[in-house]
Amino acid sequence: MNHLELAYRNLKRRRARSILTILGVAFAVGSFITLYGLSRSVHENVERSFDEHGTDLTVKRRGIAEPFGGTIPEELIPEIAKIPGVEDVAGQLLTFAATDNDDNVLASGWSPDSFYWTTAPLKAGRLPNPDESRVALIGSEIARTLDKKIGDDVTLLGEKFKIVGLTDFHSIINRNQVIVKLADLQELTFRTGAVTFLSIKLKNPGDEAEADRVSQAIEALDKLTASPSEGMLRNDSLFGLLTAVSTSMAWVALFMGVLMVLNTLLMAVLERTREIGILSAIGWSKERIMLALIIEGFILSAFGALVGIALGMAGSKFLSAIPAIGRYVAVEPTVPLIAVTAFAAMVLGILGSFYPAWVATRASPAAALERA
Amino acid sequence: MTSRHLLQLDHVGHAFDEGRIVALKDINLDFDEGESAAILGASGSGKTTLILIMCGIRTPTRGVLRWKGQPITTLRQWTDLRRTEIGIVFQDFNLFSTLTAAENVEVAMFGSSAGTAERKRRVEAALGTVGLADRATHLPQELSGGERQRVAIARSIINDPKLILADEPTGNLDSKNAMAILDLLFDLQKARGSTLVMVSHAPDQARRCARQVNMKDGEVINENAPVAREEAL
Repeated sequence: MNHLELAYRNLKRRRARSILTILGVAFAVGSFITLYGLSRSVHENVERSFDEHGTDLTVKRRGIAEPFGGTIPEELIPEIAKIPGVEDVAGQLLTFAATDNDDNVLASGWSPDSFYWTTAPLKAGRLPNPDESRVALIGSEIARTLDKKIGDDVTLLGEKFKIVGLTDFHSIINRNQVIVKLADLQELTFRTGAVTFLSIKLKNPGDEAEADRVSQAIEALDKLTASPSEGMLRNDSLFGLLTAVSTSMAWVALFMGVLMVLNTLLMAVLERTREIGILSAIGWSKERIMLALIIEGFILSAFGALVGIALGMAGSKFLSAIPAIGRYVAVEPTVPLIAVTAFAAMVLGILGSFYPAWVATRASPAAALERA
Repeated sequence: MTSRHLLQLDHVGHAFDEGRIVALKDINLDFDEGESAAILGASGSGKTTLILIMCGIRTPTRGVLRWKGQPITTLRQWTDLRRTEIGIVFQDFNLFSTLTAAENVEVAMFGSSAGTAERKRRVEAALGTVGLADRATHLPQELSGGERQRVAIARSIINDPKLILADEPTGNLDSKNAMAILDLLFDLQKARGSTLVMVSHAPDQARRCARQVNMKDGEVINENAPVAREEAL
């Protein structure tokens, strides 16, 4: 029997307390992974949805904090297309639109000559013809949710659109999008001649200096802001609020979890003062006793971290399965997030055991043995 | 410096509550290798405090203790002695409820250089010596009071100590088990040539020791003259 085996036997035979401590660590780790993962995934999913179209720069109205609130006049598109370094420009009108059964879907309007059409991965059906109106491409995920197939009608803002194609994008936002002709959506939203975003394709996408020059040229045109997709949500107050809320919740969950775990570890050690006295009486040094207690704390936190990772993954799946979240965000905790959180939990287990172990071993063996 | 004495107490005293309660007053005692001694006295006479001081679990507020002539001044020295030279048997067994009988014995070997096989062999031997070879895998709560004290005795001898201190080892046992535990302790003491110092308030038990130390109000009142049982109680 070595220290590890001794710790394992102690924990195994105090099953209820060990399980509760492990669950405490697990909930702290799991909550943090889920909630922090949610806040990170919001950004990543939006970026991914633009990147999937080959967008190098995204242009939006400067000063409008809400994502779909700003509009850009379409007549700026030819002007921007003339800027040196710009390969192509596509306008996109985005809005949440009421559909059947009081549900909402993300509707996207693309102009007939947009390069977006060339990036749409068709799973079935076809692209709309240039002269067609009130036709739609439907994302694979929203088609499944709404139980729609090619040939069916989908209602957007009270108007019926015939589904002619089924898209199979990678990003969850695009998979839940209904794509229609720009003119149709402009008409339904009373935004004739306006788009929400402009997507820019650069001639040399890897040339950061050129990207900066193009951004400056666009921003000089009118009250516009141009940025790579990873930076486009930086000043967006709605996404900012969502991120702040989920991040705050993650930290609150972590803080509460940490307190709970520290309290549990403290109690676990202090309730064993007499045992510590016995160990001292049979010749265990303070260092050896502390080592034994810290190993127990480490084992508990390591198991807690493992269970917490599983809970975090399950929690992420659960959040992704909630329609209001899952249609736009695939909550996917990253490996670094999981690794850092699990590592932090184990360090916490060691540090959390260190203090009570230190306190407990400072007590005189006689006083410890006198404890009932 | 070497000494024929195993453990010496020179003017040892102990007070609690910042000196307001004096538990031991100027104790001068020597214990030789291989001897058996009983410390007798009524409750509150200071005998348990004395035995805890004799193993370093309690630190005296005055005086010096010497092991084989060398003064023991640090907690580290006492820890090392308890690991290698001093075995302790408590009245209330002090076993770990989460460990089996064998594990309770083995836990006293942590820090020794013995390998896994050697430990196992010695644990089996110790349990065999106390007659519990067949109870090795039982938890303390699955053992009788007498069996628990046997496990505690096995633990106390596992490192082959020179000195065994027993603080009222039969205090929680019925008379039959008490007699068996005493027989075991004295057999071990004789077989191993170790020193046995036992706290008791039962003169009939104390008479089995070669030497009796009578205490009253924190002082040694006499030696080798067991007091009557009624008086001790």
